[in-house]
Amino acid sequence: MQSILDRYAPAPAFDEFADADGRPRAHYEALASTLDGISNADFRHRVTTVNSVLLQRGVTFTVYADARGTERILPFDLIPRIVPANDWSTIERGISQRVLALNAFLNDVYHEARALRDGIVPRELVFSSRNYEREAIGVTPPRGTYIHVSGIDLVRDHEGTFLVLEDNVRTPSGISYVLENRDVLKRAFPRLFENYDPLPVDDYPRRLRDALLAAAPPQVADPVIALLTPGIYNSAYFEHTLLARRMGVELVEGSDLFVRDNTVYTKTTRGPQRIDVIYRRVDDDFIDPLYFRSDSTLGIAGLYDAYRAGNVTLANAVGTGVADDKAIYPYVPAMIRYYLGEEPVLGNVPTFDCSDDAQRSHVLANLEQLVVKRTTASGGYGMLIGPMSTSAERADFADAICAMPREFIAQPVVTLSAHPTLTPDGVAPRHVDLRPFALLAGDHVDVPPAALTRVALVEGSLVVNSSQGGGSKDTWVLAP
Amino acid sequence: MLSRVAESLYWAARNVERAEDLARLIDVTATRAVDRAVDAERRWRAAHAVAGIACADGEECDRAAALERIVFDAESPFSITACVRIARRNAINVRAELTTEIWECINELYLFVEAQSPRAVGPDGTSSFLRSIRISAQAFGGICDATLAHEDAWTFIRIGRYLERASMTARVLRGVEDDAGPHIWQLVLESCCAAEPYARARQQSFDPVDALGFLALSAMFPRSLRFCLHEVDHALHRLSGAPTGTFANAAERTSGRLASSLDYAGATDLAREGAANVAARIASDLDELGAAITTAYFPRVPVG
Repeated sequence: MQSILDRYAPAPAFDEFADADGRPRAHYEALASTLDGISNADFRHRVTTVNSVLLQRGVTFTVYADARGTERILPFDLIPRIVPANDWSTIERGISQRVLALNAFLNDVYHEARALRDGIVPRELVFSSRNYEREAIGVTPPRGTYIHVSGIDLVRDHEGTFLVLEDNVRTPSGISYVLENRDVLKRAFPRLFENYDPLPVDDYPRRLRDALLAAAPPQVADPVIALLTPGIYNSAYFEHTLLARRMGVELVEGSDLFVRDNTVYTKTTRGPQRIDVIYRRVDDDFIDPLYFRSDSTLGIAGLYDAYRAGNVTLANAVGTGVADDKAIYPYVPAMIRYYLGEEPVLGNVPTFDCSDDAQRSHVLANLEQLVVKRTTASGGYGMLIGPMSTSAERADFADAICAMPREFIAQPVVTLSAHPTLTPDGVAPRHVDLRPFALLAGDHVDVPPAALTRVALVEGSLVVNSSQGGGSKDTWVLAP
Repeated sequence: MLSRVAESLYWAARNVERAEDLARLIDVTATRAVDRAVDAERRWRAAHAVAGIACADGEECDRAAALERIVFDAESPFSITACVRIARRNAINVRAELTTEIWECINELYLFVEAQSPRAVGPDGTSSFLRSIRISAQAFGGICDATLAHEDAWTFIRIGRYLERASMTARVLRGVEDDAGPHIWQLVLESCCAAEPYARARQQSFDPVDALGFLALSAMFPRSLRFCLHEVDHALHRLSGAPTGTFANAAERTSGRLASSLDYAGATDLAREGAANVAARIASDLDELGAAITTAYFPRVPVG
């Protein structure tokens, strides 16, 4: 019988599965022997089953660039990614530290601005950030928590060292894939779990609810949580419904809420019901048309007043976007040293700030070797990957960089680690990243062992975003 | 619960019920139309009328046309395809309120219908295709009853289901001419899944007055007008907490008045009025009830 792994050849990158000699790493050995007993046809049959289950469940997302607005399932690769306990412990420490530093930075930026006075983060980068909210100055959210939920993206370089690729501290998504992938894989392919006992992921919603409750306005005895969604056309709507269901909280749209006397209520069949904590999956711009975008139909007039009065908690807090601005990213290691007095556990990818004249000249002269990113974009949109770009694309980016240097950063190409993945031509290495989700309550960071592995399905591609043809994997964090 | 959510649950349930009832109607009509004893063309025209879909005088009206127009026509808001789409859209709107089993049921029904076409179904596949739709729709009702807490969400689903069911029974009766013979009444009873319950309840020779009485006034048959209206009335009172026999809003007043008028009606009087006339009168009362429910629970103007 020809097994699914027979022709696997490791990538010219750090291979998660195989060591330098092409043998399975210790934590993959048992999985490799299970896969050895599975034929190509059998494996592909499982793939079909899993895909139809995901479709029936409606685990779909909408691709914005696609005018038909088709619902698609996020491609799910059935070969799990395994994270051994010692790696996870590094990740946990590194993520906790980073979240605490970013949260301290937000408290600082909207209050005394010490780090700006002390030259830790350049003042002009902060004030020129599109996501720096003047309205948030002097407003202290309950317990000083800004970043209740974060999803910091990690990658591994050619030596296997974990690095932070970007910080996401506004409304990171993807946890629903973690929950659904595990559930579907356990049902459709229990054989894979032989000899493994990955840490469970399904208590994430409970842990999220605990973090949200901890952030409630202190004067409220029995806080009521609602999850605010932009609605069914949002690409993450499925995730919003899943989390609301699992947490047992109301899923609301802007039009379901109103504000009276600085208090937020939902419109119910039994009259108004007070809401104390809003886990909002709506950007700052769209929460309150009176303060932010006046053309927003998603928002709730008066919500910001209720927030400022301390009557409702918004998670995440207003103004967190300045902390995950890509132009601020290079300064996060310095923030960790400054606020926590610790050395960063997880390093950054070297980054060139295009608003600096010397760095910009270097970037313009070396576009072909660099990745250029827009500081405000996410989801893999608006990127230039130098080695794979055409000269016309590079010329366009050069013009854009010169016109608006603050809007761009550049990084050397990081060859992400690769993982065995099913392709039309059999199992082959494909590049992956890792997004652990972290929950902050007061000064405690909870990093549930529920991390999302995204995989670039196209050979050689380094872009893992779902909007760019990426897929996902179940991620098994092993117990110590 | 949120007014928006209540309204979506209500419409999801109405549309699923409608899909079930239309699937049964077309299946029964197609099966009966094979018999020589009925005027097939006339029965297909009646089926179109029940669905609220026009079939012009010169136009051909047969199984194939019904499949195109009543089942698949996505442009018409009255087709089964449209009902299933509307129901699923409403289910998406309230995805967080539904149990996973309810959602999967409605999503699978949607995926099943969307994957089919008149050509793929064909004459020989029509009955089993319609049967699948009917069973999925019935499963929706059963799964709601068996997996949702019997609180307000469930109650709004129940209101939608029984109001739509009453409307469908009324619409079927509306097409019954005064001179309808046993064949037609048999078809009418089958269209309401009432043939066997009727036979069991009335072990005597067939009588049109009795058949009308059964479909309109039975206290026990779950598709009769009276039964459905009592369900709606109970459900509405359950929401407000007002005792039955009293009313807390215009919706309860209308449902109570309608239900009790059927409690005290006699089959002979109804037969004298004529099945079609009775049905038309009750259909307009049901419209009034629907509007009153909307006013009471799904107000367009913001609260506060």
